[in-house]
Formats: sequence, C-alpha cells, structure tokens
Amino acid sequence: MKKTYNLSYSANGTKNLSLLGSVKDKANRYLQQRSIVQHLLRILLYSVLLFMALIYLLPLLVMVMNSLKDVEEIRNGSLLALPKDPSLAAWAKAWGSACTGSTCEGIAPFFINSFKIVLPAVAISTILGALNGYVLSMWRFKGSDLFFGLLLFGCFIPFQVVLIPMAMTLGWLGLASSASGLILVHVIYGMAFTTLFFRNYYVGLPRELISAAKIDGAGFFLIFWRIILPLSPPIIVVTVIWQFTQIWNDFLFGVVFSGADNLPVTVALNNLVNTSFGGKEYNVDMAAALLAALPTIVVYVFAGKYFVRGLSAGAVKGA
Amino acid sequence: MAALSIENVKKSYGSTQVLKGINIDIEKGEFLVLIGPSGCGKSTMMNSIAGLESISEGRILIGGKDVTHANPKDRDIAMVFQSYALYPNMTVRGNISFGLEVRKMPKPEREKQVQKVAQLLQIEHLLDRKPAQLSGGQRQRVAMGRALAREPKIYLFDEPLSNLDAKLRVEMRAEIKKLHQRLGTTIVYVTHDQVEAMTLADRIAVMRDGLLQQLASPQEVYDRPANLFVAGFMGSPPMNFIDVTIQNSDSLIISDTEQHQLPIPEGYDLSSYIGKKVILGIRPEMITEPLQHKADLREVCVLKLKTLLTEAMGADTMVLTQLGEKELNCRINPGHQVQMNQYSDFMFDMSKAVFFDPQTENLI
Amino acid sequence: MANQRRFTDMLADSMPKLVLAPSFLIVMVCIYGYILWTVALSFTKSRMLPQWKFVGFDQYNKLLNNDRWAVSSENLVVFGGLFIIICLVIGIGMAILLDQKIRQEGLLRTIYLYPMAISFIVTGTAWKWLLNPSMGIQKIVREWGFEDFTFDWLVNSEMVVFCLVIAAVWQSSGFVMALFLAGLRGVDSEMIKAAQLDGASMPTIYRRIILPTLKPVFFSAFVILSHIAIKSFDLVTALTGGGPGYSSDLPANFMYAHAFTRSQMGLGAASGVMMLGGVLAILIPYLYSELRGKKQ
Repeated sequence: MKKTYNLSYSANGTKNLSLLGSVKDKANRYLQQRSIVQHLLRILLYSVLLFMALIYLLPLLVMVMNSLKDVEEIRNGSLLALPKDPSLAAWAKAWGSACTGSTCEGIAPFFINSFKIVLPAVAISTILGALNGYVLSMWRFKGSDLFFGLLLFGCFIPFQVVLIPMAMTLGWLGLASSASGLILVHVIYGMAFTTLFFRNYYVGLPRELISAAKIDGAGFFLIFWRIILPLSPPIIVVTVIWQFTQIWNDFLFGVVFSGADNLPVTVALNNLVNTSFGGKEYNVDMAAALLAALPTIVVYVFAGKYFVRGLSAGAVKGA
Repeated sequence: MAALSIENVKKSYGSTQVLKGINIDIEKGEFLVLIGPSGCGKSTMMNSIAGLESISEGRILIGGKDVTHANPKDRDIAMVFQSYALYPNMTVRGNISFGLEVRKMPKPEREKQVQKVAQLLQIEHLLDRKPAQLSGGQRQRVAMGRALAREPKIYLFDEPLSNLDAKLRVEMRAEIKKLHQRLGTTIVYVTHDQVEAMTLADRIAVMRDGLLQQLASPQEVYDRPANLFVAGFMGSPPMNFIDVTIQNSDSLIISDTEQHQLPIPEGYDLSSYIGKKVILGIRPEMITEPLQHKADLREVCVLKLKTLLTEAMGADTMVLTQLGEKELNCRINPGHQVQMNQYSDFMFDMSKAVFFDPQTENLI
Repeated sequence: MANQRRFTDMLADSMPKLVLAPSFLIVMVCIYGYILWTVALSFTKSRMLPQWKFVGFDQYNKLLNNDRWAVSSENLVVFGGLFIIICLVIGIGMAILLDQKIRQEGLLRTIYLYPMAISFIVTGTAWKWLLNPSMGIQKIVREWGFEDFTFDWLVNSEMVVFCLVIAAVWQSSGFVMALFLAGLRGVDSEMIKAAQLDGASMPTIYRRIILPTLKPVFFSAFVILSHIAIKSFDLVTALTGGGPGYSSDLPANFMYAHAFTRSQMGLGAASGVMMLGGVLAILIPYLYSELRGKKQ
C-alpha cells in the first residue's frame, strides 16, 4: 500500500515535472521562434539599409571608376566594370586642358574663380548675419521683429523674380559680369539665411547675459566682441559651411551674372559637359564633375555634423 | 538723503499697466525686499531701477541724482541675476573684473580688487575656472563677487537663491545677511519666498498688481498686515480669517450653529464697528492646545473645534480644524494628542489678533 | 561737454538701428523693391531692354497661351508632386529604419546625406550618364542578358520628367531622412514606454503616436522640398537641357530662357511673378501657422 502510494506519488511527481518541462520547452521554442523571427527581421533591416546605401553611392562610384578609364574602355565596356588599367590622365586633362566652351584650359581657372567668389562672399555674409542676428535677438526695438519677418521671407522667394532688376542694377553700378558683382549678389541673397542662423542661435542665449554686461558698463560692440562672439563658434561653423556649400554649388547666379573671365566652376562644368565638338570624352567629364564636387564633399566629410545642423537650422525654424 | 528714491513710477506695456504708481524711499545701508506673487510687477520694478527697462512716468533717483533716463552703466548699481548670468567664456577672474575693466580701472588695482572680493566670498581657489566648471552655489558666489567688485551705490538681487537646492539656499541666505551686516551696503532684493523676505529684510515692500500693498519692517508686516492680501500672503500656513460681529468694546461674537464669544485685544478700538461685521485675522500659532500658564489671561478663550487633519512638522504639529463651516489652521505642541474627527479644546490667544474691514479689506 | 555726452549717448542708443540699417535697405530694395520692379516689367512690352510701355496683362495672356509655359508648369506639377511625395516616403521610411539602434548608423547616415552637399549640376551630370540608354542602366541590364530591357526615359519626351524626379530624389531624400531622424530622436521616450506598457505594437506606436507628433517636421520638409522643386533650374540644365525639345522644361528654365537668351524680358518677368505666386501659395499658410504657433 505504502509502496503503491509511493509509486503513484513519484509518478505524479514526474508527471508534474514533465508538465513543467513541456511548458519550459514551449516557452523556449516560442522564444527561439521569436528570436529567429527577430533575427530574420534584423537581417532584412540591414539588407534594406545597405541596399539603399549602395544606391546612394552608385553614381559616385560609377563616376570615380569611369574617370579612371580611357574613352575606349568606357565605350566598349560596362559602366560598372572596374577600370582595367586605372589612370589619372582624364583627371589631369579635366583639370588642365579640357575645353569648356571657348577656352581649353581645363576647369582649373574656374575652380580658382569659384574660390575668389566664395571666400569673400562667405566672409561678408557671415559677418553681416552675425551682426544682424545679434541686433534681432538681443537689441530688439519696435519694428525689429517685423524686419525679421520681412527678411525671413527673403529666404523663400524664387530668385527668378529678382534676376532682371538685379542684372540692370549691376549694369548701372558697372559691376555687370564682374566677380565683385557676383560676390555682392551672393552676399545680398545669402544674408537672409545667415541672419536667420545667428538670430535663432542667439535667441537661445540668456538675455540676462546682456543685462549683466550692460550693468557692468559695456556697450553694443563691446558686448558683441567680448561676450557674444566668444560664444558663437558653433554657429559660425554652421553658417560658414552652409554658405560655402550654397555659393560653391550655385549655378543660377553664376550663369546670369558672371562674365567670361570669372565663370564659377559649376558653369564651367556645364559648358565642358555640353561642349559638342570632337568626340565625347566621358572620362574627362566625370573627372571634371568630381573635381567640381570635391570641395563641398570634403567639407561634408570633415564637418558633416555641422552640415546637417545647418540644414535643419535653416529648415526647422528652431535650432 | 535717500540712497534710492522711487517716485510715482508707472510703467505700461501697450494698454496693460504693470506698475501703477510706486513710491519707495530707501535709506543708505538698508536692506529692502520686494515681494509679491508672480506678475505683481516686482521684476519690472527691479529692471526699471537697473535701467534695463524704461519707465512710462515718474522718477528714479539714486543718491539724490535723477537717473530716470540714464543708461544702466551710469547708475552706479550692480545686479545679481536669478540665472547668475555669468559670462561663460570668461574665467571667474574675468567675470569679476570685467566691469572694472570696462570702467578702465588699471590692471594692478583690478587684480587687487578681485583678490579682495574673492577672499571675502571664499572663492580664491576658483578664480581660474570657467563658470561651467562650478557648482550652483559657487556660481552664486561668483555672481555676488561680480557685483561686489564694483562697489556700487546700490545692489540689486533678482531672486538670486531660487535656483539653489533647499539646504544651500538657507546657507547662502545667511551668507548674504552676514555680508550686508559687514559691508553696510544698500540692497534691493526681489523674491517670492516669504522666508527670505522675513529673514533678510530691514523693510519689506509687498506688491500686488503693480501696486505697493505695504512697506514696513518684517515684524510689522507679519503682525499688522495692511490688508487681507498681505495677511494671506505672508506666513505659512496663512493667517485664519473668520467673519465676526462686534458685540461691544470688549467682545465679539462668532456665530455658526451656536454663538461663541471672544475677547477683543487690549488697545484695539472697535467702538465704531459695534453691531457690525468685521473680519478677524488670527495666526495659526495663536490657536493652540489649552495652555496652563495662559489660562487666566483676559485675552484668551477656549473653544471646541473638530479636528480634520494633523500634519506633524517636528517642532510643531499643524492641525486643520473646523469651526462651523470655516476651516482653521492651528499649531499645537507635538506632545499634545487630538482625536481625528472629534471635538477637542483649542485655546484662542487674541492678543495679536487683527481686524479687517470687510468692504475695504484694509486693517482696522 | 554735456552736449557731446548727449550725442555719444544717443549714438550708443541708436547703434542697433544703425547696424541693422544697411541690411534693412538691402532687403527693402533688393527683395521687395525688385519684386515690384519685376511686377512692373511684367506689365510692359520690354524685350531685349526694358521699355516702359505698359500693355496691361498682355504678357500674362501670352504666357498662358504659350505652349512651352504650359509644358513647363505641367512638368512642375508632376515633378514637384512626385518629388515631394517620394522624398517624404523614402525619407520617413529610412529614418524609421535607421532609428532601430543600427550599428554603424553614423556611416549610413553620412552615405544617405552626402548627395545634399553636391551641386545639382554635378548630380545632373552624373545621372545623365546613368540614364543615358546607350551608356547607363539600360546598357548594363542588357549586358546582363535582358536584351529587351528598355529604359530610355531620358530621350523620351513623355517620360523625361521622371528622370528629373529620380535625380532630385536621389539628391534630397537623405536630407528628409535627416530631418525626420532628428525629429524621431526628439520624441519623448517616456511617451513611447507608456504606449508599450499599454500593449501597443511598434508599428502602431509609430503610426498612432510618433508620426503625429512629427507634424511640424513634416510641414517644414514639405515647404523646403516644394521650394527646391520650384527653384530647380540647374538640375534641368545639367540633366536634360530642357530636352528633348522643351519637354522637360521647368518654369525656372522658361524664365531664364526668355529673360536672358531670347530677349523676351516682359514675358520672362511675367513668368517670374507667376513663380513667386506659386511659392506664396505654399508659403503663406506655412508662415501663418508658424507665427501663430509662436504666439501661443
């Protein structure tokens, strides 16, 4: 009796145990399944992301690869094939001797033109933006907000609606087709953005800082120079990068306002690619395009963080 | 001659009037606290004294000189801000000496002044740090140092302690008090914290809706508040207000379901209110458990109140009681037990009771 | 002495206004003045040079009857619409995918966004080869053995506008992704935790809770993208040259061609004014809501 009891007990016990085990099994299997599903999802996720990355990189890769081939290889082979015998000949030609419209000096002179336009335009528009932003955030007066609204609107107008009067004004000022004229145009229409950047940044600084400095006896410029400017490097970097990319990449103002001897590189590149005489030298075109894109890509790679910040500062009002 | 005179100062933004004619005279060496609920105009008043905001009407004189239209830098004032407003790009040394530098004090003197102030505030070891490397309390000291270095006629403090944690606040409060006593400076101090006001001030200016409600010593403001607003604003928990009827020159009646008779304090002349309703104001600490040593006094009387809630504070126990419809705050000895929802005896000490006219809400 | 002091004080007081004055002048003249000027020109018969002979709405009539203008505005609607929608879809999608605690997120983000640093001229040049049937994608796919594969949109005047869309999306979708990613990172994580405790699945949380809070981001992305679309001039020039014929022209190209190469200044001015009108139609509701939002 006792024995059977014991037996039954033990049977019961094992049954219980096995029940427990099966629950555990089920749970394990469920967890395993779940983790397999999750694993698969994860793999899918990474595949999609990598695929997209490939698509974004493709045009750049094609250009780099084909700029290293010779013309024959491009004609006969595939765009996607690796260069059999990589050479920088096309790059050299694009830089120094390719024909852009009427001249055949490569894009080097235009590259320099662009720098001659970009550097002063960036510097001046940044300084103006900083001063404007300083006034519009820290020294508001009656009407200053209205002015800011008017200026903000300037960020959004299509430039086509000011091109003709601007061209006429530059003509009267004797600046038509000159580098200074182009610089002036870039400063004028870049100012809205630089002011917006600085103003939004300065609005985030505590107003009491200015009050404290006023009580300490500092005036308008001293406060700017000693207190505001030392706090500005982040926004200066953002603004400079933004302006540099904008002006370097500009085509419209370049094509409308520049003259033969100060064409910016974007216009020159377009001329080079569309020059129709002689056989098409795709490798040279690609090298030239890469050269034209190089400065902004370099800036992007080394200061991407600030670049993104600029984009979103310009876009999402706040910053 | 007053160190600072505020004469009928008015200020409006568009159609809203923020200051409606303020008059205050501050003596040299006086510590004046401006207090009031947010939006009462105390910060605007402060900024107007500093010259950071212009006023619409009236005059402001510092040391007898009319500075109504002067720039902040020409007023000989220094200000400590709520956010400290330390220049983040400068070291502590730079922060303290900036105002001196702007005022073209020669470098050696500047350095001496910085040392003096740093020693006074015990921040010598911090002089070469940037504000970002300092704790809240240290920043507070630097902000005060920046103000002290210039040795101006008047110091303005704009809620300087409200960003500190409770313990540090008490410490810094004492520190400010000590500094004031030691240097004998003239200070205008804005706060919404009544403990700060009570402990620091020589005189308190209570403001509401752009109007000065009372300007008096802390004890006076506490004991004899000018009106219902001040009475309710100063003191925590606030003063109890009870509608009463004056029976004769010696006693008054509280009527709910039954009538209670209470004595009128010595020297309070309510003869013109006999038979009329007034508002009795009595502080919580004046309603206690029955105290043996007070039992025989004329101005004392015992009523039965229903206990609704007790809060032990440690040193005292706050009891919320009910008298008719009215809830009263009482303060009893923690050793004394009261039963929840039961009626127990409470002793009313009427010696410091005050009375307000129900129409004007002013102190009688 | 006192007078001099008064003067320096006054100078100091008006310094902010003095500093702002040149910019104020520039804005009033070079933005608002020029807009009025262009509007005025659009009512004249100016051709090579401005002629102040007013002809009322003649130029606008001409514009509306001009087939090239009709094509270019139709293109803008198709291009703009598709460009904005696709950019938003891809941008939001990638932002959500990138928000799943991805390894190497920074690298991927850099790759998605780099086209934004490149000029439309370079983008146009690059895609011109890829979309060129005899060199690019069509040729590659045919070489893989799909002999009948055709992808000749670039030379097909019906389809060429979609080429613009492809290149523009490639350039700008990464930017939309960056905007939304920043927005997603700004969403209150406690709100998401609360939703998870309520038993909501991740897709539901995104659809019902996270994306609705990103409405402002959505809004600004929309404004920026439509702005890019209306201004697109360099992309067309570099990618298609407006061709075949003028089948891929956009209003910006129309304006440039008439005002600066075809001596039709009046007509060019009128088209510029129309473009401004288009921008205003989008911008004014945006600015209105923006300003109202600030007041609250």
